[in-house]
Amino acid sequence: MNKLKARVILSMIIVPLGLIIAAIPENKTKQYKLDSQQMLNEMVEGNQFIVPDEVAHMLVQKDPSLQLIDVRSADEFDKFHLPGAINIPLNSILAEEWEDYVNQDVKMNVFYSNGVTKGNEAWMLTRKLGYENNYVLQGGLNYWAETIMNPEAPKNTVADDELAKYNFRMAAGNALGGGKLQASNTSTNTKKKKPIIKKRPKKKRAAGGC
Amino acid sequence: MGPFVITEIISENTNFLLAFVIGIGFGFVLESSGFSSSRKLAGMFYGYDTTVLKVFFTAAITAMLGLLFFSLFGWIDLSLIYINPTFLWSTIIGGVIMGAGFIIGGFCPGTAFCALSIGKIDALAFVGGLFIGIFAFTEGYPLIEELYKAEYLGIPTINESLGLSRGVFALILIVVAVAMFWIGEWAEKKFPREEY
Amino acid sequence: MNTQKDKSKKYLNPYVGGVLLGLVLLAAYMISGRGLGASGALKSAIVASVETVAPSHAENAAFYKEYAETHSGSPLKSWLVFEMLGVLIGGFLSGALAGRLKWKVEHNPKITSKTRIVFAVLGGILFGFGAQLGRGCTSGSALSGMASLSLSGFISMAFIFGTAFMLAYFFRKLWI
Repeated sequence: MNKLKARVILSMIIVPLGLIIAAIPENKTKQYKLDSQQMLNEMVEGNQFIVPDEVAHMLVQKDPSLQLIDVRSADEFDKFHLPGAINIPLNSILAEEWEDYVNQDVKMNVFYSNGVTKGNEAWMLTRKLGYENNYVLQGGLNYWAETIMNPEAPKNTVADDELAKYNFRMAAGNALGGGKLQASNTSTNTKKKKPIIKKRPKKKRAAGGC
Repeated sequence: MGPFVITEIISENTNFLLAFVIGIGFGFVLESSGFSSSRKLAGMFYGYDTTVLKVFFTAAITAMLGLLFFSLFGWIDLSLIYINPTFLWSTIIGGVIMGAGFIIGGFCPGTAFCALSIGKIDALAFVGGLFIGIFAFTEGYPLIEELYKAEYLGIPTINESLGLSRGVFALILIVVAVAMFWIGEWAEKKFPREEY
Repeated sequence: MNTQKDKSKKYLNPYVGGVLLGLVLLAAYMISGRGLGASGALKSAIVASVETVAPSHAENAAFYKEYAETHSGSPLKSWLVFEMLGVLIGGFLSGALAGRLKWKVEHNPKITSKTRIVFAVLGGILFGFGAQLGRGCTSGSALSGMASLSLSGFISMAFIFGTAFMLAYFFRKLWI
């Protein structure tokens, strides 16, 4: 009779729990639209920024998961853009034709403009809708020009890794179309202080299966 | 918060260590529930011992309810857990082949390992067979690759496919399982077996 | 009734066992974000041995190439391999505590142990092949898949148990 009891007890526990879980709406905070507080938290964390070195590295490696998105106007895009970038001007970022680009989970989108403002605005708009995998190029094209195109030679006394970084930037700059570009001054929003480099948490689904 | 390894609360290596600990728990529970006996396992298909059905469904429901409630409390992000991708044909045909293997061999891979650990020689034979079967698959892969990757449906969850919320589907599953437990007890009384 | 009482002493009550198994599975999801599995550990072992014994074959054959592309590091350094080592130890501990450690071929008295072994190997071959094709066995696909509400988990569960029920009649001599 012991057996019967266990079955009854189990049923008496799981059926009410099932009723509760069926009656309560799902916790969708992570999957769908973000509320203002969550947006604020994400903005304060600043995890959306990607340093130019990382992008340059991916470009040199021809990493297929990278998708650069230029959010400046079409004119500016025609004058200069990063290799492989597509142009989605900020005012059409929410247009239906681009939705497949900005709301997807295959590639890593990196928004950029001259400074960070427009890129970051594009990120905020899409992030608020709960879209994943969108990032912003740290410092925008201006900072890109400073670091990748015209890297500043470090002094002889610096640590090896600084030197290695410089060498990489020189090589990447050359590989990606030469160190001729001057930092343009069209954007007034570029902050002069060096952006802080942050490690992005990995947010991929766990691997598994047999 | 969870899953801990994704949110980097624990490191990759700690994850491996904990996999070992989880495995110990898995093996211990399987063995002490009687899954190390092929005759007990096969008994389900003849109605004389429905232990497998009870353990299997109770476990799936316990874990499912745990995940749903943890998600509700914000303890785990369900969009970060692994969900098996659905490739319709290979899942169906693979399932049919596994079903045949189950009734012929009397084990499934997990239970065979568990039975092997307490010295069942038939389990050793089954594990040997598993090696041959998997090797046949890896070697014959070019021939079956097309079938293996056909009809990819992404990683849908069953409630999405049925257009239900997770909670409602969970409730339906629970009701079905409880009904099955009652039928199982009835079947065991109807087809009694001696102890083995 | 008497035999039932003995059995409940011998093995855990199935519902208690089920809840415990569910908690182990829940822990796997909470810690590692994935469910339990079994057959994948054997696949890792096979890939590792092929890479050691016949490295040139491993570089050319389609399956091993895909495996190497999608998995980094040694194939043996996988979650499932560690988990399955744990299963061997966990099963052994439980068997030792309950006094069930014994070398034996368990079979229906109506068949010989030789027959049992032959069918066990045969069943293993089918199960191993099917688990690869279906991307997971009863634990990896059906049990974990059901807990995570994965569509493929429910499909595999239905077809594994459905087929076994349908074929049960033809193989009844093996078991009853």
